Amino acid sequence: MIDLKFDRVSKKYRIYQESGVEASPSKLQRVTRRLWGNGNDFWALRDVTFEVKRGEALGIIGQNGAGKSTILKLLYNITAPTKGRISINGRLAALIEVASGFHPDLTGRENVYLNGSLLGMKRREISKKLDSIVDFAGVSAFIDTPVKRYSSGMYLRLGFSIAAHLDPDILLLDEVLAVGDAEFQSKCIERIDQLRKAGTTIVFVSHNLGAVEGLCDRVFLLRKGEIFRSGLPRYVISEYEHMLTNMPASAPARLTGTVASPAAIISSVAFLNSNGRKTTMFATGDEARVEVEYIVRDSFEDAVIEVYFYSIFGNLHTHFSTDVDGSRVDLAPGRGIIEFLCPDLPFEAATFNVEASIRRRGSSFSEHLDHKHAACVNITRGKAVHGAFHTPHTWRMKSLERQESDDAAADAVVKQSD
Amino acid sequence: MRPLDSSAINHEVGRSGVRPISEILPPSFSGVNLLGHLSKLLQYRDLIWTLSVHRIKVRYKQSVLGIFWAILQPISMMLIFTFIFSLIAKMPSEGAPYAIFAYTALLPWNYFSSGVSNATTSLVSHAQFVTKVYFPREILPITYIIAALFDFGVASTLLAGLMIYYHVPLTINALYAIPIILVLTCFALAMSFFLSATQVRFRDIGVAVPLLLQVWLFATPVIYPLSAVPARWQPLYLLNPMVGIIESFRQGILRGAAPETRYLALSAAISVILLVASYLYFKLVEATMADFV
Repeated sequence: MIDLKFDRVSKKYRIYQESGVEASPSKLQRVTRRLWGNGNDFWALRDVTFEVKRGEALGIIGQNGAGKSTILKLLYNITAPTKGRISINGRLAALIEVASGFHPDLTGRENVYLNGSLLGMKRREISKKLDSIVDFAGVSAFIDTPVKRYSSGMYLRLGFSIAAHLDPDILLLDEVLAVGDAEFQSKCIERIDQLRKAGTTIVFVSHNLGAVEGLCDRVFLLRKGEIFRSGLPRYVISEYEHMLTNMPASAPARLTGTVASPAAIISSVAFLNSNGRKTTMFATGDEARVEVEYIVRDSFEDAVIEVYFYSIFGNLHTHFSTDVDGSRVDLAPGRGIIEFLCPDLPFEAATFNVEASIRRRGSSFSEHLDHKHAACVNITRGKAVHGAFHTPHTWRMKSLERQESDDAAADAVVKQSD
Repeated sequence: MRPLDSSAINHEVGRSGVRPISEILPPSFSGVNLLGHLSKLLQYRDLIWTLSVHRIKVRYKQSVLGIFWAILQPISMMLIFTFIFSLIAKMPSEGAPYAIFAYTALLPWNYFSSGVSNATTSLVSHAQFVTKVYFPREILPITYIIAALFDFGVASTLLAGLMIYYHVPLTINALYAIPIILVLTCFALAMSFFLSATQVRFRDIGVAVPLLLQVWLFATPVIYPLSAVPARWQPLYLLNPMVGIIESFRQGILRGAAPETRYLALSAAISVILLVASYLYFKLVEATMADFV
């Protein structure tokens, strides 16, 4: 049984540039251009054909602008294709956060009815699920309070919880795990699992390669609006990683201090697991090695090498520096490798953009000699993290009642067992 | 560790036997899908109901006078018009007291004008819905028309009061109000579909509509009787569907007579044709609305 079918689907967007290449056109020209529809065409999807079988979980990966969200928008009927035909067999729903549609003056309960029916639920169905929706969001005590008095977290959780209570035949997922705290996220993952086990067909669009590999049976790699690769998650994901790692290192716009002819350059950055194999897939608690290979023209004293971990939204998560660690690094002329070893990766399951830079000690962050986007590193669920991070640790039990024999009541040391 | 079992979703993952099959195609203007559109709309009747109730609730929430605002608007217009056109300008009102003469027309006019002006901006003001969730988008303008119809009902109670006060007898012909309001609703929907869909691309509409409605008020026999319009202009004048609607409403309620059939029939014909055309236009624009809104 085929649940979803794209038949030579193309989607064109028209971009109206306010200030074009040519000298700013007159108002009249702009108006006529709009009326006649002369803008720059951008093909978000070109001739895309695929099928998704019933019960299959399809992952779609690719860089921003590759057409991932366009596929979801077309499936969800938010917008129509320019060419081609899409067939959908079954009730389709998207697991999206709908809190932006809340009316601040209405109570939580009223908003659940409003947004539930927006998502296509019947009033009777909402009444039946109301308690569960409210419980899931953890806002039971405030259900008759106007949502304008909610915290932003409560707001988002309630919005998401409504969508999580849909029972679709086909489920669309779009970066769902970016909502709420770890506790709420794990509930969402549980819900997705539940639907998956019940045979729901799933289309999952994400930058979180670990999550895609964990959930999906098949993965598409989109590139410039076309399906570039399709196949088993492991192969397609590693192909994508390869593509990302071999991208010509482009200095992001915010890094302006790069010197034209640097005394030192980073020639490559590699990620290795405990077996010494190159990869960008890790789990929380894994050993990870980052090898930063550099080329130095003349001997370069007192260098600082740094590795940055950014969230996919661009926030700096943490950074490691040879400067902070206190060690002095002198680089001899020629090629060399400096290795960053992390025996126990502390990160929660997520995707990180890792960057590496080289600079002189005492210079500011922006004055580095070279800077490279190293890779998109995916951390999957390894050692349990219910919160932001994991750290190596032990547990120790102490008895407060020291009576007869000290030796019998000796402190019991319990090792962490994951 | 599964920390939150107590609050996991417990209801069954429902596997209803019927799986709807749908096809999404590039937008095209055709009447073939009219029935399909309507049956889809019917599936979303719960949303129409919830959103309409929501509109009414939100409008009067945190306001002291609440529902009385629905009466206050036509009544203040009535008082102003009575003052200007009756006391100062001595406008003819075909023998009826000017206040009730104006109010019987202001009531349906206000329904039309407030419904259409709110519905026009409905898509743009709900951009967060339109770009995130699928539902038949015509529901947004429809619910504003329903909310305006509700206000019309509330404001009608004052008409009843005025009729008692001025000793205007209620006859069986007042029942004509029902088909007249139906025609008016069709026409209001036709205008709303066209204007709201166009406003998504051209925000000028949002600014133009209040002006349009102002001019339109004077092109409709609200403050003056139809008989005041020179006979040679009447054929052209009657092409405005609001003329037949307002005149028939006044005829049925105020004069207790059956409305002139050809006036009402003309308005009904124009309204229905426009409704079908503007609905199909709306569905054509709807397909890619989210790209522009």
